[in-house]
Amino acid sequence: MITKKNIILILLFLLAAGSYYIRPGDAQDPAAPTEATQPAPVAATAVPPATGAEATAPAVAPPQPPTVTFTIDKTAVDNGGAVTVKGQGVPGKSVYLEVWSERQVKSSFFDSRPDKDGKRPYKLYLTHSLPASYKIYVPKDKKEVFDAFKAKGRGWAYSDALKEMGADVAYSAPATIEIDAYQSTIMAGIIGSRGDKLPTLDDKETRRRAMQLTKARFSGIGRLISPSIDLNADGSFAAKVDIPQGAAPGKYFIVAYADKAIHSQAAVVENNINFPMMYLSNAGTSLNLLWPFLLTLAIGIFGVLMGAGGGFLLNPILVSLWPLPHTVVAGTVMPTVLFSQASGIYNYSKIKFISWKLGITMGLAMLAGGFIGPKLTELITLDQFKFVFGWILLILAALMFWQTTPGYIANNKKEQAIMTEFKKRAEAAAKAK
Amino acid sequence: MIVEFWGQEFKINIVFGCIGAFLLAIVSSMFGFGGGPFMVPLMTVGLGLPMYLVVGSSLTAIFFNTLMGTMRHYQFGNFDMTFFLIMFPAAILGGYIAPQIAKRISPLMVKRVAVVGLALLGLNLLGVY
Repeated sequence: MITKKNIILILLFLLAAGSYYIRPGDAQDPAAPTEATQPAPVAATAVPPATGAEATAPAVAPPQPPTVTFTIDKTAVDNGGAVTVKGQGVPGKSVYLEVWSERQVKSSFFDSRPDKDGKRPYKLYLTHSLPASYKIYVPKDKKEVFDAFKAKGRGWAYSDALKEMGADVAYSAPATIEIDAYQSTIMAGIIGSRGDKLPTLDDKETRRRAMQLTKARFSGIGRLISPSIDLNADGSFAAKVDIPQGAAPGKYFIVAYADKAIHSQAAVVENNINFPMMYLSNAGTSLNLLWPFLLTLAIGIFGVLMGAGGGFLLNPILVSLWPLPHTVVAGTVMPTVLFSQASGIYNYSKIKFISWKLGITMGLAMLAGGFIGPKLTELITLDQFKFVFGWILLILAALMFWQTTPGYIANNKKEQAIMTEFKKRAEAAAKAK
Repeated sequence: MIVEFWGQEFKINIVFGCIGAFLLAIVSSMFGFGGGPFMVPLMTVGLGLPMYLVVGSSLTAIFFNTLMGTMRHYQFGNFDMTFFLIMFPAAILGGYIAPQIAKRISPLMVKRVAVVGLALLGLNLLGVY
């Protein structure tokens, strides 16, 4: 039968089926108009700079300045993949692979930890040009150092980890990004601005803050460092560079480092993502669009059944299931639930279910709170976000549990009776008009 | 403040209510939700109002919060259009399907499922498992 419900079910089925069959080609978004940060080849090799299309490192230069070269087994991957890297470094020296994406994302870091003199800087660092994907591969013999830092949990220091593994020589692509620094003040907090803009940082400071911004964006040590290079005594090495499913589309650059001044040219791998995988350019992650759609649908239904919007469910679940930044999730979920709230208000007002005086008075108070809140979102880290949200949900569970206890229900029976009665009368009156 | 509703009058401490709403709005817009499930206890317990008055009015109040929060988040660049376009139709669809199902499910059952789900999710986020 062609009922509205059936049409909806058919549409859902088609969407699910389509996600397996439709493959129109490359990612939807045009390539971001940003310059790729290509390291210029150093005196280590005598060959002129290669274009981005070259997949192998250039031929060995005639005299013997120390050099690093490598080859890769493929120049394109579909929805992520592993690229085998085989190369020759400097005998006796470690080798590191820096891998980063051309696509860029935003990152912010709020410095509130006491510095050497015990003062808290309260400075906000912001960039729009952090690579959407970034990883440094180190030799397997650094695994112990890696595990020691991993054991520290959330409190691991990225710059220390890199230095101890000798991998700080490989940190180059993000070291020169443009960073805006703001001095946060109490007044700024009240009126909701980021604060006073500080003068541009010098190179050393930029590099230091870039590392903090990198860690702020990717948080786990496993996402930033991989102790997986097979390194031999004669300097030859092999590694598998993994571009995960869900990484940004576009070009990926791989550079091998033996030392700060001894590195290879960049090899380029292209990551193509196909529909229904889509790249969320602000979030910096690709995902199969079917899952967030179904998730939002399920939570939307559940939320309305429960009498709530659903934002408080959508946020933590989205943040837990995919590597999305909590700022973008919060900022995108809010307009999503805005419309269901609006339609709820419209339907309720039709049956005279709203006290405008009360709603608007409290609403104005909430307007002020809603002005301040979003600014604070970028001041907390993802882990703090998850932690506080965990408690919020437990408190909410307790509140709802209390609402299902017999005592509460008995109290409510009279109110329920009045409510049902007035609802019936109001609906009848609305129909009669 | 005196609120009139369905022929009855209710006397409430609006200052308390507004302070509570303000604080709730800060936390909820910071974490990306409207605050509905928290407004209801605030108004029923904090202000002593009956449920049938609270449901609609709390929705109105949090609408302001969500609206302002949305604009501010957009200002800060936290809005992803692709992501929004994926979730938006689903939310609309959900709001349409829900009343169809609501007639067949007891709201108490839904609340019980919600309690369990929320508790599990909360514990997950805190890293308990």
